[in-house]
Amino acid sequence: MPVFAQEGYVEVAEVCKVYRNGTREAVEAVSSLSFAVPRGQFVAVLGPSGCGKSTLLMMVGGLEPVTAGRITVDGTPMTGPRTSIGVMFQDATLLPWKSALDNVLFPIRVLKRPLDAYRETAQALLERVGLDGFEHKKPHELSGGMRQRVAICRALVYDPELLLMDEPFSALDAISRDEMNELLLDLWQQYTKTALFVTHSIREAVFLADRVLVMTRRPATIVEDLAVPFPRPRAVTIGETRQFNEICGHLRECIEGNRDRERTRRPKPDLVRRELVG
Amino acid sequence: MTAENTLAPRPAAASFAIAEAVAIILASLRRMRPVYLPLATAGVVLATWQLVVGLFHVPAVILPGPLEIADELWRVRPLLLSHAVPTTLDSLMAFALASLFGVGLAIAITYSPLLRDTLYPNLVVFQLIPKIALAPLFVVWLGISSQSRVTFSAFVSFFPVVISAAVGFANTEATALRLCRSLTASQWQSFVMVRFPFALPAIFSGMKIAMTMAIIGVIIGEFISAKAGLGFYILYASSRMETAGIFAALFVLCVIGVALFGVVALAEALVRRSYGRR
Repeated sequence: MPVFAQEGYVEVAEVCKVYRNGTREAVEAVSSLSFAVPRGQFVAVLGPSGCGKSTLLMMVGGLEPVTAGRITVDGTPMTGPRTSIGVMFQDATLLPWKSALDNVLFPIRVLKRPLDAYRETAQALLERVGLDGFEHKKPHELSGGMRQRVAICRALVYDPELLLMDEPFSALDAISRDEMNELLLDLWQQYTKTALFVTHSIREAVFLADRVLVMTRRPATIVEDLAVPFPRPRAVTIGETRQFNEICGHLRECIEGNRDRERTRRPKPDLVRRELVG
Repeated sequence: MTAENTLAPRPAAASFAIAEAVAIILASLRRMRPVYLPLATAGVVLATWQLVVGLFHVPAVILPGPLEIADELWRVRPLLLSHAVPTTLDSLMAFALASLFGVGLAIAITYSPLLRDTLYPNLVVFQLIPKIALAPLFVVWLGISSQSRVTFSAFVSFFPVVISAAVGFANTEATALRLCRSLTASQWQSFVMVRFPFALPAIFSGMKIAMTMAIIGVIIGEFISAKAGLGFYILYASSRMETAGIFAALFVLCVIGVALFGVVALAEALVRRSYGRR
């Protein structure tokens, strides 16, 4: 286990998010949620779809404002996006007219850093993810897995401190997904960023993370905070150990237990509020 | 006999080679089909036209045959060319104005919700009005100069550009814009680097429509008020019952239309390629 600093690099305190998108319903996407991530830790946020985990990630990245509460990264409150944070989205979001290499260099262009200085870095990253020889291919010439690899390189090329990943491999097939997980661990080992990884796959969360936070829908908050005891570097084979499966079983219970409770009771009236829009 | 002798030992190989040659010829014929099929169709139509005119002794004033038209075209070619110049220049001018103002207004609509809400529905409704009917108004307002015709033509061809450019800008992938935000890109950067290139196909399809509309607008203007130009020539020829002259002018118009359309298509290819390289 990496040695963690005492204080939280990312601190989320009593954060709420309420959507009022034109409809009369005010939907509470995230309710009074608190946790802290020490520098260098890989944290997975696990939960069923629609539990607000992506919203949480976007708020940490400064891409969505919080309704209430406070998020600080590196001691300063988040008011908007920062260049010390890299984001990976559900789809690769490559620009279709740019080559793989130019897509990786896109952040450098936006940040107006010297392109030539980073060309080698980009090339090395692409090689690292097994895309040497594909630098000049356009996104439509690459497979889904390859595109997501380009997106990883793009997120790492400008060397952000914190990596936010929003179910980046959910659109991939099972085999490419395992490959990507291994690759991500490998890269993370080398670059040791603080990472927040949102997923709805229990095994993916346990395999990747130092710590798993389980989020549920009602209430949209964290119900379990679990340390994953496996040492690094991790091999894929840890997925077959008994301990791994026990942890997965426990996490599944956390999610399902909450779901069953949810079924047997009515939705709490304070979560879905009907309001008159004046 | 000798040929049979040399072929005899390897009959399979020989027939295979012939089959291969036939297959190659058939394949190249199939590849050329988009070229020769429309050409053949046009040829058949022209031949039928000539035949019908000859067989039924249709008077040349009503409908001259393609050969008579070709004769007339050759006879008056210097005159036709001198009339083609103002028509072409006015069309290009109107097209340039329409494209410039169209894309400009689309940008304004994209970035100002207030402008969008106030202008866009009106633009769509205006698009449906047969603007040709407004041509006499432009004579009243701006006189019978070339500027008056250019203004009218630009006004006619401006709508498809605004509407398709606005749609193109609006349909930019939301995730790509979010990527820009996460990289702290300025509005200007995300416009130039993402929104504009994403909208290019839509903008150019609007511009292609605008190019044909610009020619129509200029011809209408020339019908009403000109002393030169192909529209004027058509009216002049018709007043003298020179039907072959009308067709000859129409032929020149077709050539101009195809050439100008080709210029826009070429520009599109160049712009797209320049984005691919950057």
